[in-house]
Amino acid sequence: MACVVFDAKRCDAGAGRTRLKLVGENFPAVSNDIKMETLSFAVEADGLTRIYKRGGEEVRALDGVSFRVRDGEFVSIVGASGSGKTTLLNLLGCMDAADRGTLRLAGHEVGAINERARTRLRRDHIGFVFQHFGLMPTLTVHENVALPGLFGRRIWPSRHQKSLDARADELLERVSLAHRRNHRPHELSGGEMQRVAIARSLLNTPRLLLADEPTGDLDSATGESIIELLQELNRDGLTILVVTHNTALAAIAEHQISLRDGRLIQDSTDQML
Amino acid sequence: MIWLLSLREWQRRPLRMSISTLGVALAVAALWSLLAFGRGYRDGVQDELDHLGAHVLLAPKGCPYDATSLALHGASWPCYLKAAYLNQVRAVPGVAKAAPVLMNAFIDDSGAQTVYLGVDSNLLALKGGWHLSGRFPTFRGDLLLGADVARKNDWHIGQTVSLPGLNGARGTVSGILAPSQSADDGFIYTRLSDAQTWFQRRGELTHVLVRLRDPDQLDDVVAQLRSCGAGLEMNVVPLSHIFHSIEGLVNATRALLLCIVMVALLVAGAGVSNTLMIAVSERTREIGVMRALGAKHGEIFRVFWAQALQLCGVGAIAGVSIGWTAARETDAWLRAQLPYSPHNSMVHSDWPTTLACILGAMLLGTMAGGLPAWRASCLTPSVAMRARGERA
Ligand SMILES: Nc1ncnc2c1ncn2[C@@H]1O[C@H](COP(=O)(O)OP(=O)(O)OP(=O)(O)O)[C@@H](O)[C@H]1O
Ligand SMILES: [Mg+2]
Repeated sequence: MACVVFDAKRCDAGAGRTRLKLVGENFPAVSNDIKMETLSFAVEADGLTRIYKRGGEEVRALDGVSFRVRDGEFVSIVGASGSGKTTLLNLLGCMDAADRGTLRLAGHEVGAINERARTRLRRDHIGFVFQHFGLMPTLTVHENVALPGLFGRRIWPSRHQKSLDARADELLERVSLAHRRNHRPHELSGGEMQRVAIARSLLNTPRLLLADEPTGDLDSATGESIIELLQELNRDGLTILVVTHNTALAAIAEHQISLRDGRLIQDSTDQML
Repeated sequence: MIWLLSLREWQRRPLRMSISTLGVALAVAALWSLLAFGRGYRDGVQDELDHLGAHVLLAPKGCPYDATSLALHGASWPCYLKAAYLNQVRAVPGVAKAAPVLMNAFIDDSGAQTVYLGVDSNLLALKGGWHLSGRFPTFRGDLLLGADVARKNDWHIGQTVSLPGLNGARGTVSGILAPSQSADDGFIYTRLSDAQTWFQRRGELTHVLVRLRDPDQLDDVVAQLRSCGAGLEMNVVPLSHIFHSIEGLVNATRALLLCIVMVALLVAGAGVSNTLMIAVSERTREIGVMRALGAKHGEIFRVFWAQALQLCGVGAIAGVSIGWTAARETDAWLRAQLPYSPHNSMVHSDWPTTLACILGAMLLGTMAGGLPAWRASCLTPSVAMRARGERA
């Protein structure tokens, strides 16, 4: 099997807390063509370009964006509205394909893999947090957290279900919402909903967490608690890329990427472009 | 899991889901009733003919065209055959028995009907299925009562009773028939000569029931009966032909109704499809989120497809239940509409019909759910990031 091991960040912070198993799993081969490599970058974007066609007119939502993200980094992506942040996150999350340029996740070139493999990649290795939380209103908090574990399984999960339930409970405990286990999302506050969404994103022990304005719908105090939670997860070794207008959140990131009109205008690890 | 996601939809839009289900339920109820009626009617008419025990009915020329159905249920008509024709009929080769009947019916003020049949012992040869206690009318004034007549009037063997509709005439109950679930249960049989006296129809009959030696020779015997001396005065009605023409008529009506029911099913299916289309557009972002979380095309497809199957499945079960519980009312309503209806229940509730209806509804669900499910499965995960709207 062709597989690559992430160079995981050592976990040393948050002593005494429940440790999440964020590292140690191998990235599976998503296509037989992928060769084994030694990695120093979790994310490598090279000349990413995404052009939308609106009527007869072309919109260059992203234009030749290149950057690298180390494994275990906390990255913020900032920029004015319409600068292409969400578009970039969609590409990084394998939810959309670039028109030009290459994207490598853990050494695998994702432009080369098919839709099925991309879906599997998202499910097993990438966590998503949305500004709007994206919880299923008809499911309970616990069921929401367990949701990603149910995709790609047999119709009758049986044995798998037990460990899935335990894992969801563990994550709810981690975000301090175990007592709201059987509530519905609409019974929670915005901050609590976002914590549930974060717990859900961690279910399959991802290596990469992508968040699009996770504090966008929250007041500053609640937003702060979410920022703290993300920081903690990052300390546990999770690579986090977060799109944000929140200056506090952008400031704590060790690595900042700025976009303007689809172009990368600043990458804090390089000098000004 | 897939089932959980679609089952929970009922909580979100209970009214919308219920209306779609009701549409399916009504269409399935109609389908079930129609299929159950088809079988029941056929069996009922066949039963009735079997009870009659005759292969051919001879009725006077010029009597109402539906004399046969009247003869089966009991009625009066003002046309008569001469009893003397009987000898000619019996002389036709192939005729095993010819039983003369003089029938008369009275309707009293309350609308209850009393049907008298003057008969002779030839009738016994036709009615192999009869179980009677007491004796077949032999002496003057003897009465053989159908089971219902005896029960309703509380008449017993040996009792002398005054006969409804026959000013002061009296008779003695000589025998009572065991219940047969046929028109016989409502008849009063007397000696032919007594009936001819009471109704002042000496030497006359309303019809003759003929049994053949070999039912396969029906066409031959009918031709000979038509060409015998009395043939010009009689309508020779082969009962199996009657059965077939009644059946043909009913089948034509059923085919038309079936078309209407099919249209109703299609409309119900369109309703289900539409409900799901709305759900897909309402849940665009949720679908995007599920795709982002790793749901495959097929899994999203199954969520909506399962919902269509649930809607149609629940609708089918409700529809069959409605049909089953309303069978009696449907039967009564059909009786009022049909020119001829058998004595037994015409709507037969049975499992094969029920199963066929449920399977049909599931097939409908499969088709109705296909398009919305396909649309949902084609949504890209990036709509999760894009679509804005209410939170959670
Ligand atoms: N599906 C689409 N079709 C056409 N144009 C699109 C599409 N999606 C995005 N765009 C355009 O691409 C550009 C970048 O959009 P994007 O959503 O990435 O911006 P953003 O930086 O996330 O903005 P915001 O901060 O407001 O969320 C915008 O001009 C937008 O109008
Ligand atoms: Mg955006």
